[in-house]
Amino acid sequence: MKLYLAIMLLLPLAGGLTSALAGRLLPRRLLEFLICATVWGGFVCAALAAASYTAPLTVNLAPWITAFDLGAPLSLYLDPLSLSLAVMVTFVCGLIHIYSVFYMAEEGDYPRFFALLNLFVFAMLTLLLAENLPLLYLGWEGVGFCSYLLIGFWYQDKANADAGRKAFITTRIGDTALVIGIAWLFQLFGTFSMVQLNGMAFLIPGGVVTAIGVLFLIGAMGKSAQVPLQVWLPDAMAGPTPVSAMIHAATMVTAGVYLLARMFPFFGGSAVVTSAIAVTGGITAFYGASCAVAQRDLKRVLAFSTISQIGYMMLGVGAGAITAATFHLLVHAFFKALLFLGAGCVITAMHHEQDIFKMGGLRRSLPVTFWCFLAGSACLAGIPLTGGFFSKDSIIGALWLKGVPLYQALYVLALITALLTSFYSFRLVYLVFGGETNAHIHGSRELKVMELVLVPLALLGLCGGVLDLPGYLGGGFLGHFFANLAGGKAAEAPQATEIVLQAIAGALALAGLAAAHVAFSGKARAKRIAEADNPSALTSFLFHAWHFDDLYRLLFIRPYAALSGFLWQRMDEGVIDDSLDRLAQGVGATGTWFGRWTAGRISLYIVSFAAGGAAILGYLAWVTLS
Amino acid sequence: MSIPLEHVIILASLLFAMGLGCTVAWRSNVIMMLIGIEIMLNAVMLVFVGASARWGVADGQLFALLIMALTSAEVSLALAMVVYLHRRKKTVNTDVFDSMKG
Repeated sequence: MKLYLAIMLLLPLAGGLTSALAGRLLPRRLLEFLICATVWGGFVCAALAAASYTAPLTVNLAPWITAFDLGAPLSLYLDPLSLSLAVMVTFVCGLIHIYSVFYMAEEGDYPRFFALLNLFVFAMLTLLLAENLPLLYLGWEGVGFCSYLLIGFWYQDKANADAGRKAFITTRIGDTALVIGIAWLFQLFGTFSMVQLNGMAFLIPGGVVTAIGVLFLIGAMGKSAQVPLQVWLPDAMAGPTPVSAMIHAATMVTAGVYLLARMFPFFGGSAVVTSAIAVTGGITAFYGASCAVAQRDLKRVLAFSTISQIGYMMLGVGAGAITAATFHLLVHAFFKALLFLGAGCVITAMHHEQDIFKMGGLRRSLPVTFWCFLAGSACLAGIPLTGGFFSKDSIIGALWLKGVPLYQALYVLALITALLTSFYSFRLVYLVFGGETNAHIHGSRELKVMELVLVPLALLGLCGGVLDLPGYLGGGFLGHFFANLAGGKAAEAPQATEIVLQAIAGALALAGLAAAHVAFSGKARAKRIAEADNPSALTSFLFHAWHFDDLYRLLFIRPYAALSGFLWQRMDEGVIDDSLDRLAQGVGATGTWFGRWTAGRISLYIVSFAAGGAAILGYLAWVTLS
Repeated sequence: MSIPLEHVIILASLLFAMGLGCTVAWRSNVIMMLIGIEIMLNAVMLVFVGASARWGVADGQLFALLIMALTSAEVSLALAMVVYLHRRKKTVNTDVFDSMKG
């Protein structure tokens, strides 16, 4: 087991380092094979670890930080949560790697790209498998760093570099809170081990647990793009599409949900924290879905859908349904990777056009992509019997079963969001694939392979429901697997209630589909496209993502820029530089004035010397006599 | 009969002041400046000898001998340099040699 875990971590690291250091020296084909092989090797290790898994275990690889009583070894922890996510991450990332090889076929700077891609996987696996908080934080920062570099991969365009910086700085706000939380935990308990910490929450006052829980929540907000730190995710679309798929599906954004699920036993007892998580998730889910309805850029629609879906996962964690949240995380990884990779195919075929109002008719020219994308959208919308339906519904059901007014309000919000989700998913499908073709399709051999990658993801997304079927269909695998996990036990509901809850959710998803059909199929589609250039006030508000960017510009960026300008021009240049300049001028002038003394005339020197001697003598005489 | 130390010091101070005055005032001639320096050195020597006699210790006389040797060496070097300087600028006025101006 130790071997599997070590190899799973080391392979992507070795691949990344090889690509970074010797990428140019190797033949391109070999390098491409290598970086895919490392991730698939990781997947094999994860699968073997899953096959031989019996009970949660801690694996100590090596000492890492050891100073006095501060100890953070390189130790890994394997339990159902980390194991299932590790299998998913290596599998989805493996597919994305294959896809990237063909997507980036014309990119010149491929070693950098592949190195970062592999390091991204390494960082994510470190985050997932870490047993203690510093190691988790290493992975946490690793994914942040790699995402920063990958979002700004085409850094010569300033907009891309800015997007990378925005992602880095925004997540950094959350990271700061997380570091404070970690340090506080260490100060309280003297240990970093998450396994130990999770069992010690009862030792400290509830208020402190709440405070630490909120700090961790802020950390998760940054990484998982939750309101109010969600602004970086839509801009993260600046990166190459496989990177978007990786950030959104398998790695980066799920890290926050994972952290909260991992630490749930610690702060699960604090109702304030769980409510805060649930409210954050609920608001974010609704926010993301409402923005996605009005977007024009294909990838931005998907970005907002990610924000919304991660919101659902947060809702699940907040409702104490860790199994449901993880279930949705896994299924979401499949269908979101599918949607992004499908979008990559569409964008490649459309000569890098991303405006959905300028697309159309692609169902005939890209049939494989169309069917796969349709499957992904159905999952996203939660059309009954797809994977997304079961996973999303287990979260929504868990909200209802809490039986508290706050959670019931969130339940209603989640249902409205589900309706919106279904609507915007099929809006996307109708706009991109419906109607008549009006563009030349750029077909190529690469595109064919890229389309093939979509098929397994589509199958997994559609059939993902079997991972955790509801009780009346025989119960699920994940439910049993997670049963021993703290917080993993889902509230048991009578089967009738469960069926009614699922029927409501399914009906809403179908209603969204119907609404999208009415609004965007046939002749209505052309009308919507014509309307698109004169958006209504509401559409414009949603298109600009509730003007969050403008709000932050007004609240933070402009005062900060003004303060910086003041400090730069008035303080630094005005006070510090000027005073130093004056001082230097004064010293210089004095020096020049004294310099006239060294006239080179020996007689003058002698007189000065004699005067100096006389002065010393006079002083000594004065001291002696007085 | 011994001369009181005060007298010796007064005489030495006068000599020293005159030597210094000579060095400071006679700048148009480097040889006169050297003479002034010699007088000052002699004043110092006088103090040594006087103090030696006052306390009956031979160290001061040793110093006087040392200064004599030093002075002769200094004068021979200095005069050689004066000859050299005179060759360069045809003058012994010290103010002409101001190439060390800052």
